[in-house]
Amino acid sequence: MATALDPALGGGALMAAVASVVSIGQPAWSVRIARVVLLLAALAVLAWLLVLPLLAIFAEAFRQGYAFYLDAIKQPDTIAAVRLTFTVAAIAVPLNLVFGLAAAWSMTHFEFRGKALLGALIDLPFSISPVVAGMMLILVYGKDGWLGSWLEAHGLQVIFALPGLVLATVLVTLPFVARELIPLMQAQGSEQEEAALTLGASGWQIFFRVTLPRVRWALLYGVLLCNARAMGEFGAVYVVSGHLRGITNTLPLQVDQLYQENFSAAFAAASLLALLTLVTLGIKRVVEWRHGDALNTHL
Amino acid sequence: MGIEIYRLRRQYGAFVALDDVSLTIGDGEFVAVLGPSGSGKTSLLRILAGLDQPDAGSVYRDGQDLLALDARRRGVGLVFQHYALFPHMTVAQNVAFGLRVRPWRLRPKAAVIKAGVEHLLRQVELEGFADRYPSQLSGGQRQRVALARALAIEPRLLLLDEPFGALDAQVRVNLRRWLREFHRSLGITTLFVTHDQDEALEMADRVVVMNRGRIEQIGTPEQIYRQPATPFASRFIARGQSLPGEVRGQHLHVFGHAWRMENFVADDAHEITVHVRPEDIALAPVQSDGVKAQLLNLRHVAGTVRASLRVENREEPLEAEWNERDWARHAATAGDTVDIHLLALTVFATDEEGRIQARSTVHPPHASFPVAVGPWRRVEA
Repeated sequence: MATALDPALGGGALMAAVASVVSIGQPAWSVRIARVVLLLAALAVLAWLLVLPLLAIFAEAFRQGYAFYLDAIKQPDTIAAVRLTFTVAAIAVPLNLVFGLAAAWSMTHFEFRGKALLGALIDLPFSISPVVAGMMLILVYGKDGWLGSWLEAHGLQVIFALPGLVLATVLVTLPFVARELIPLMQAQGSEQEEAALTLGASGWQIFFRVTLPRVRWALLYGVLLCNARAMGEFGAVYVVSGHLRGITNTLPLQVDQLYQENFSAAFAAASLLALLTLVTLGIKRVVEWRHGDALNTHL
Repeated sequence: MGIEIYRLRRQYGAFVALDDVSLTIGDGEFVAVLGPSGSGKTSLLRILAGLDQPDAGSVYRDGQDLLALDARRRGVGLVFQHYALFPHMTVAQNVAFGLRVRPWRLRPKAAVIKAGVEHLLRQVELEGFADRYPSQLSGGQRQRVALARALAIEPRLLLLDEPFGALDAQVRVNLRRWLREFHRSLGITTLFVTHDQDEALEMADRVVVMNRGRIEQIGTPEQIYRQPATPFASRFIARGQSLPGEVRGQHLHVFGHAWRMENFVADDAHEITVHVRPEDIALAPVQSDGVKAQLLNLRHVAGTVRASLRVENREEPLEAEWNERDWARHAATAGDTVDIHLLALTVFATDEEGRIQARSTVHPPHASFPVAVGPWRRVEA
């Protein structure tokens, strides 16, 4: 890595790499060296920052043996945390699927005032710190919040309960589906929908037979990203959860709490979380590999 | 009866897409709407299809208010320039779409749909392609699938939006002839939009020339070529080129020549426009009383010769077009100065708002002289 950042070599290597993009035929040896150096640099960064730490988690989780690992993840609190994480994701992701489709459809098929504002609002959760997002929910739905007394009077608990967790997760993962669909729908235009309309199709028929099949892979891709983030979300959920072990602790929160008491048990739980994310990434990779064209082209 | 379009107006912000457009299309007629981009022709098509609503005006089909029906129930077949086929459906599924989405009471039985699709595919000469996907077809084939799909709902009006715009030249010419024959055999009222003069003139029974949201002229291809109603129609259809000229009394003065005009009353005209077509510029016999012109360059295009001519009082070169056989009788080459005769001139008088006050076609008398008297020219191989 040090060699790539070395100014004497790095500058020349970059130039050579740029040149290699334009040149045709057999590249000069300096270009070939530049390629190898850049590739090695990228791999080194990945190895040190990603692969090694990921392996470390699994190593740490199994340090005290297989039996201990099983014990750690079979603790009722951890199992409850896994179940809660799945529950939250199972509610939040479909909500964002519907929201993302509706937002992308209106952004690309209608002209209306405040369209730019809607676009900016969809992106907002990406730029707001999740902790701040959690605080915002407390301010509105908390005990002393704007809706707090009304909610209490009706016996509804949002903060420190499942609804709060779902709200926080929905908020943080709001952009994923919409952001995946908008560029694709924009590129596709609405001619096919118009064709379907003149052929006599109703709104729902157009949606299910024309629009949805065309964006299905991008939609799945967005849902997977959304799901990975929903299961891994920490900041916003941390603020609204209340950390009641076995009740309002999601898996990331459980990892955090265990970490302060029992090192190895924490890593066992963390390995579970990492595994969930790896599976999601694996599916995403398969989708990209099998249907990469459908994600990008106009068809 | 057919379609009666009355005083349609459509405005997008400050841009007027359709300005007081009225048009009647006869039953079974094939009408082309011809105009440059931005002339409003696509707006007209979208309003007829129900994809857009006019700000004012009405459209009736056999006495029935078409604008009151939404696009779903209009029974209008629309074929898009870029086909807009459903890529995830096979050819057969595409064609069957309009029948399959019908409410179940009106939906034909599966076997009937299948037979109908087969019949349509045979009509558009795509038998054996039923199970292919659009991405496996050529542009011309896709366009015919789009046509079959639009015809499946048995529309009473067929709209074609630049149907050949995305095809290459050879396919375009073939498909053009095919579509004209196909229309004859079906007899369905058809409106088709194009910016290509050749296409419009070759295919349509009548041509509607549009410019800036207005109809400039409606007529048969022959009428529009022979008697352009406006300077725009003359420029756009017949490639009319304006000449410096003026009208004094009953005489037209161009290039120092004066010709008498009959029945041309334009005493208070704001502007006089004189147009000549490329094919109405003839090479004159040597030492005649024609207009002096310098041959700037010559292009030989399969049977015709296109020449750029420099004439006095006109900054841009004048374009002329001759038959290759006529041209071969003259011994001129690029750079030479030749004499030209103007065989026909169209004179327009317009008022301050650009409305036509008078129009006349002048045939200068010298043009009736035999033209080709020069020696036969040898072309070295």
